[in-house]
Amino acid sequence: MNNRTWMSRSLAGTAVMMLGFTLAGCGGGGGDASGRPENELHLAVYGDASNKVEQAMVDTFNETSDVKIVLDTIPGADYQTKLQTIIDTDSAPDIFFNWGGGSIANFVEADLLMPLDDLIEEDPQLKEAFLPSVFETAVVDDKSYGIPMRGTQPVMLFNNSEVLQQAGIDAPPATWDELLEDVEKLKAAGVTPIALGGADQWPTQMWFQYVFDRVAGEGLFQAALDGDTEVWDSEESREALGKLRELIDAGAFGTNFDSVKFTDGGSPTLLSSGRAGFELMGSWAYATHLDANPEFAENVLGYSEFPAIEGGEGDPDNLAGNTNNFYSIHKDTRYPEEAAEFLKLMYSDEFVQEQIAIGNLPTTTNTEEFLGEASNPEYAKYQFDLVKEAPHFQLSWDQAYPPEATVTIHTAVAQFFSGQIDEDGFIKAMQSL
Amino acid sequence: MTTLATRRQAAPGGSTTSRPARSGASSVGRPGFAWALPATIFFALFALVPLAAVAVLSFTSWSGLGDPEFVGFENWETLIADPVMLKSLWLSLLFIVLGVVTQTPLSILLGVWAAGNQRNRAILSAIYFIPLLLSSAAISVLWRALLDPNFGIPGQLSWLFGDGNLLGTQSGAIGVLIFVGMWQFTPFHTLIYQGAAKGIPTVLYQAAAIDGAGTMRQFFAITLPQLRNTAITSIILMVVGGLTTFETVLILTNGGPGTDTTITAFYMYQEAFQSFDFGVGSAIALVLVVVATLISLVVVKVSGYDKMNSSLEGL
Repeated sequence: MNNRTWMSRSLAGTAVMMLGFTLAGCGGGGGDASGRPENELHLAVYGDASNKVEQAMVDTFNETSDVKIVLDTIPGADYQTKLQTIIDTDSAPDIFFNWGGGSIANFVEADLLMPLDDLIEEDPQLKEAFLPSVFETAVVDDKSYGIPMRGTQPVMLFNNSEVLQQAGIDAPPATWDELLEDVEKLKAAGVTPIALGGADQWPTQMWFQYVFDRVAGEGLFQAALDGDTEVWDSEESREALGKLRELIDAGAFGTNFDSVKFTDGGSPTLLSSGRAGFELMGSWAYATHLDANPEFAENVLGYSEFPAIEGGEGDPDNLAGNTNNFYSIHKDTRYPEEAAEFLKLMYSDEFVQEQIAIGNLPTTTNTEEFLGEASNPEYAKYQFDLVKEAPHFQLSWDQAYPPEATVTIHTAVAQFFSGQIDEDGFIKAMQSL
Repeated sequence: MTTLATRRQAAPGGSTTSRPARSGASSVGRPGFAWALPATIFFALFALVPLAAVAVLSFTSWSGLGDPEFVGFENWETLIADPVMLKSLWLSLLFIVLGVVTQTPLSILLGVWAAGNQRNRAILSAIYFIPLLLSSAAISVLWRALLDPNFGIPGQLSWLFGDGNLLGTQSGAIGVLIFVGMWQFTPFHTLIYQGAAKGIPTVLYQAAAIDGAGTMRQFFAITLPQLRNTAITSIILMVVGGLTTFETVLILTNGGPGTDTTITAFYMYQEAFQSFDFGVGSAIALVLVVVATLISLVVVKVSGYDKMNSSLEGL
């Protein structure tokens, strides 16, 4: 068994590399539409519950078009790997799902994507029908490469209102000092103040995104992303790290957060079972709770914006998280006009209604008209207003950077929280990007 | 008796029919190179060629987009200076040693026991066998859920596990990985030892019993020496398996906390398929190939396995 898996592992590993090697050789030389299937457009999306809507849009499009769209759903966890492996080959999708920002920066650099500015000139709605803070995420070097195609997912501070009440907390914290006070009250009440799925690493990163934004404003991270790594060693950066350290040392996250995951239901259950007071999480947390414990989601789950930090430069209305997902078009597509036609469906009433029906919150300007149809209109409206009013919507750090930075960022945030590295260690890790 | 007689009677007739077959075999002679051709082609195509390609890739910078770009020894310089790489090799070594030390005694005991004739043997052996039928991924997901600090076993046994932060500390995470590896692979090695223990001639035990040797004495004087070659086989499999443990690390700890369980095989995956640096990933893969080959050679030399001495000599 050991031996066989060893063989198959090493064979599979090397074979995949070998395959990639030869395919790249072929694809690099080709680089035109001739190798692509006739009368077909391939649409690659991240495989999950939202595929229902994508299929519905494809069906709508195929009813009237001679060129048919084929929907290829790729299982979620493997999406970016699979995409990166095929994007420079003849098997590349014509239109594909992405997160904007760093997830497409490499593709733009390798000249694999079609700028959408000409299409936008022909049909300005392709840009104007979407909230600007969201649309900006898929703009690289002043050219637009993506059209928003799912829901926005801002990160919010969720709470268990019953636990807060029992601990004597009347309202979610509006400021950092209030948050520190609440942590003490919750500790006194015998619960973990803040649930954290540290083993997943990205939930830990959410704390950095917000604290850095509140303390230093959105400029610091943008400067770092643009190549000025000195900003990580700035006074603001150290102050942000100091705030985080203060919170960790106060015991806000308990002691065993590095063994807890969000993805397997660990940290959300801490919140819903009343063993934790808060959890910082993306807007999908509502759907997670609704699925596992509907009564809790509807009656007990509370939510608020990330608290303001006194004296910080960032606007307290700034948001962080997944601005939206996007469709980009491959430069080598055989049918650019048809692909553009398909993208126009992304601001149609039908699209907005379908997205809202499955609990997503689209970011078109006409979304507001349909918020009443959401399963929880109040929650949908709260989120939509946050996104609409946000002066800046920071894309998650691990998606703003190209994929090769993810491991470094995730390891650094996790090690900082567990105390394996200090401020200097974190700064050094981020400067290595 | 009657069946024996008929067989003997049939023998002369049978010999005439077997004669052409025997002459045919002698004309073929010893198997030539052609016999090894299919396996050689397969091995070359799926092992040697990719290995060569990986060797080439290790001198390039390639993210999977465009063509690989030749960068000389840059990846190797990066690796040599990389503290995580060195740490991953030590961790891999630690995993191998701990794996062998925990799995070998257990599987020898279970295997020898399972080779006996007890009434409950078949049922219990079948139960012990179950982990072998599960995929590594399923096993990892299962233990991940069981070890949740708040809602799993540690949450119920807080007197034993404290705050249950098993996967959040280096010693805890290594302990969990070794334990899960033991749970998963002991049945396989038990099976090897069971087969080998069954093959030990009973005359040895009968002779020992006449000389007055008890069960313990028989185990140490007969069973263990007779299992020597099996133990070497089993240990080599454990070494190579330990060196390339991957799924359990990916799912249970994701190399964490920090890089505290980032063993070399996992680090290779991380560099190649998460950081999309196929050059460095290939270099790590080559290191892994070299280290695995060296360790196997050392084990074979030290153990005298290459001489293939029969443990049944003199019987």
